Amino acid sequence: MTDVSLASRPSRDYTLEARGVSKRFGGTQALDEASLLLRPGSVHALLGGNGSGKSTLIKCLAGVYRADSGSVVLPGYDGPAAGVTPSLAHQAGLRVVHQDLGLFDRMTVAENFALDSGFPTTAGRIKWRELDKRVDELLEEYAIPARPRDPVGSLRPAERTLVAIARALQDQRDSEHVLLLDEPTASLPEHESAALLAAIRERAAAGQTVVIVSHRLSEVMDVSDEITVFRDGRVVGNLVTAESDASDIVRLIAGKDLANGLAAALPAPEIRTVEPALAVSGLAAGPLSGINLTLWPGEIVGVAGLLGSGRSSLLKAVYGALPRTAGAITVGGRALRNGGIGDALRAGLAMVPENRLADAALTSMTVRENMSVSVLRSFWRGWMRHSTERRTAADLASRFQVKTAGVESPFMSLSGGNQQKVILARWLRREPSVLLLDEPTQGVDIGARAEIYGKVRESTAHGCAVLVASSDHEELAELCHRVVVLDQGRIVAELDGEVDASDITYAVQTHHSLETPA
Amino acid sequence: MTDTETPPAVADASPTHPEQTPANRPNRLLELAERFALVVVLVVVTIFFSVLPASRELFPTIPNVRIVVASQSVTLLLAIAAMLPLISGHFDFSVGATAATTCVLVAGLMSRHSTSPWVCIIAAVLLGAAIGLANGIAVQRLGMNSFVTTLATATLLGGAIQWYTKGQTITGNIAPSLIEFGSHTWLGVPRVVFLVAVVTAGAYYLLTHTPYGRALYAMGDNVAAARLVGVPVRRYGITAFVLAGAVAGIAGIVLTARTGGANADNGTAAVFPALAAVFLGATAILPGRFNVIGTVIGVALVAVSVSGLTLAGAQDWVNPVFNGAALAIAVAASSYLGRRSRGA
Repeated sequence: MTDVSLASRPSRDYTLEARGVSKRFGGTQALDEASLLLRPGSVHALLGGNGSGKSTLIKCLAGVYRADSGSVVLPGYDGPAAGVTPSLAHQAGLRVVHQDLGLFDRMTVAENFALDSGFPTTAGRIKWRELDKRVDELLEEYAIPARPRDPVGSLRPAERTLVAIARALQDQRDSEHVLLLDEPTASLPEHESAALLAAIRERAAAGQTVVIVSHRLSEVMDVSDEITVFRDGRVVGNLVTAESDASDIVRLIAGKDLANGLAAALPAPEIRTVEPALAVSGLAAGPLSGINLTLWPGEIVGVAGLLGSGRSSLLKAVYGALPRTAGAITVGGRALRNGGIGDALRAGLAMVPENRLADAALTSMTVRENMSVSVLRSFWRGWMRHSTERRTAADLASRFQVKTAGVESPFMSLSGGNQQKVILARWLRREPSVLLLDEPTQGVDIGARAEIYGKVRESTAHGCAVLVASSDHEELAELCHRVVVLDQGRIVAELDGEVDASDITYAVQTHHSLETPA
Repeated sequence: MTDTETPPAVADASPTHPEQTPANRPNRLLELAERFALVVVLVVVTIFFSVLPASRELFPTIPNVRIVVASQSVTLLLAIAAMLPLISGHFDFSVGATAATTCVLVAGLMSRHSTSPWVCIIAAVLLGAAIGLANGIAVQRLGMNSFVTTLATATLLGGAIQWYTKGQTITGNIAPSLIEFGSHTWLGVPRVVFLVAVVTAGAYYLLTHTPYGRALYAMGDNVAAARLVGVPVRRYGITAFVLAGAVAGIAGIVLTARTGGANADNGTAAVFPALAAVFLGATAILPGRFNVIGTVIGVALVAVSVSGLTLAGAQDWVNPVFNGAALAIAVAASSYLGRRSRGA
C-alpha cells in the first residue's frame, strides 16, 4: 500500500461507508435506510431475495441511481449519497462487474482490455506489442491461463469472469479499488464457481475489497468474511460469516421460519406395481449414450452432473426437442416417435427449460397469455372463449401464489421467482404425466423457491413423475427421491433414499456413489 | 441466418429493472388514452380538413368519401397481407409485387386469352398463395432472412411483370362484370368495400378467435418458447406467408377491377403506405401489438390525410413525404410501446 492511497482513505477502518441510504421508485420503497460498511481487504456478501434492495444499493453507490437520502464516505468523497455520480464513483475506485460481464466474445482478450482502457498508440497506430505485454502481465497476475490473442469466447466460464474482473481493475496500482460483483456465479456450474471463488479469495488476501451479491448461500458461507442481509429494502442483519449459522441466515432472508418448507420429509413414492410413468432404454442423442432410466408415477428423480455432462440434453431428448440416434422412450406404456415435440406433448410430457427468458417466456405478452399458451385449443369452440381463459388464469395465479397486479399485467413486470411460477403453472395446468424441470429455481429467491418445490411435490400426489436437472445439489437433495449422476453423456451413479448435497457433490466429482461404486 | 430479425414493434428486448416497474405501470386512464389516441388523431384530422378553407368544399362530401374508401381498399388488403407474417416475426415486402403480378395475370388472361372472370379470380388467388408458399419455404425451411428474401421475391416479380407486359398497359377485353365490381356501388357503398370487409373480418377472426392466431403472436414474441410449448412453428410460419400471398392475390384482383386493366408497375411502392398503416395500427387498440382494428384505423388515417392534402392543393411530393413520416413515427411509437409492455 503506497502512502498516496493511504492518505486518500477517509478512515483506516473502512474503504467505503454508506449510512441510511434510501431510494423510492413510485410507490415502492426499494431501499429503506440501508447501511453498509466495507473493511479493506475483506469479502463482503450481500444476500437477499429478488427485489430485496441489494442491487438498488449497489446502483446507488455506483451513481446509476440517485439516492433520496443517506450519506456516503468514499476515497475522496464525504457527503450525501445523492451526490454520487457515475464518474465520482469511478474516480473513487468503485468497479462493478455485472452478471453478463459485458465481454466481446469474438474479440481477443487484449482487445477486450483495450476497448475499456483505450489502445496504446503512436500517431494513431495501435502498438499491439505493448498492449500484449501489458495484458500478459495482467493475465499472469490473475492466474488466467490464456494468451492475449486468444478470443474471449474460447475461455472457460470462470476464466471469462476473471477476465472481466481483471479488466475492471486494470487501472489500480495497489488493490485500492473496491470490486462489486453482481451474481458472479449465477450462470456458472459448480466447479467453475469454485475456481472463481478461490480466485476472489486470493484477491482479497492481496488486499482487495470485494462486495459479492449472490443467491447461493453455501457459496457465500465459503467465500465471505462478512454478510449483510437485505429484506424488503431494509438491512435485516450484519453478520461475521465465521460466527454465523446457515439456517439463521435463511431465516433472516425469508423473514419467516422455512424449516418446514425447506426440509419437509419426502412422501414415499407410490408402490412400484403399476406401469412406469417414463421408461428410457438405450437412449443415444447428442452427447448422450446408453441411457437407461425408469421413472415411476409420483417419483421425483434428479439429474446431477457437471456442465457438459448432458443434463439438459437428457431432458431435451426425452421431450423430443433433441432427436435421438438410438433407443426407445415410452410414456405410460406408449412409445414416443423420434424427433417431435407434438408426440411427447400428446403423451403427457411437459418441460420447463433452463433459460427462462430465451426458451420459455413470451416477453411482450401478459401473464394470462403466458399461462394459456400451452392449452390454447381447450378454449376454442369455433371462437376463443376469452372469459374462460381469463377466469382460469386468475385462478391459477392465485393457486400458484403469483404476486402480480393481475393476470393482464405484462409478464416481464414480475420478479424472476414469480415468472418461474407462471411457467410452471403453464405446464402443470395440463396435468402432465411426466414433468421435466431444467434448473427450475435459477435466479429465484428462497421464498419463491419453497413455493415452487411445494407445487412440484403437489403434482406428484396426482401421479406425475418429475425429472429434475440441476447444478444445485442442495436443491436435488431436498426435492428428489433418487438422483442419477451423468458424466460425459452416461449415467455413472445412482443415489437412492436419504441423500444429502454432499453425497451428490461427491458422486458428481468422483463419478461413483459412496456405497455403490459404478 | 436464423430468426434474428424481428419486426421493430416486437424487438428490442431490454433488461428489466424490477424495482422500477411500479412507477412505470400506467393507470387506467392513461391506458385508455393510449389505446384510442390514434382514433382521436383520425377525428381531429378529419375535422381539420372539413373546416380548412382550401378543402372544405370537396373533402366532407359523399363522393369524396366513396373515392377515399374505394381507393384505399387495395392498401388495406396489402396491410392485412403484410400483417400476418409480421405477427409471426417476419417481414414480407413482396405483398405489393404479388398484387401487381396477380393484377397482370387477371388482365392478361382476360385480354389475351378471354378467360372467364371466375377462373381468373381463382388463378390469381392461387398464384398469390404459391408466391407466399415460396417465401414461406425459403424463410421457414431454408432459414433465409425474410427481409432480404421477400425483397428478392419483389424484385423478381417486378422483372417478370416487365417481361410479360413489355412495359405496356394491358386494357382491352376486361370482363365488364369485373370493372363494374370495381367502380359501382351497392347501397351507396363501393362494391369492393364489401369484399375488403369480408377479408378484414376473416383476419380479425383468425387472429383473435383461433388458437392459430394466438400461436402466431407467440411465435413472433419468442419462437423458441413457442416451439417448446408445441406450436408447429414452421408449418404455422409458412401458412402465414401463404395467407399473405393469397390476400395479396385478392388485392391484385381488386386492382384490376379498379383500374380496368394492368400496367407495368411493380407494386413495390404500394407496400410502404400499407406497412405504415400496420405499424400505426400497432400503436392503437392493443398498444405494442399488430392488430386488425388498429390497422384499419391506420389505413383510414393515412387515406384521410392524403385525400385532405390533395384536395387542399398540396403538391405531388407531399404524399410520399407524408407516408414516410407516418411510417417512421409509427415505428418509433410502436417500438416504444412494445418495450414498455415488457415492463422495461
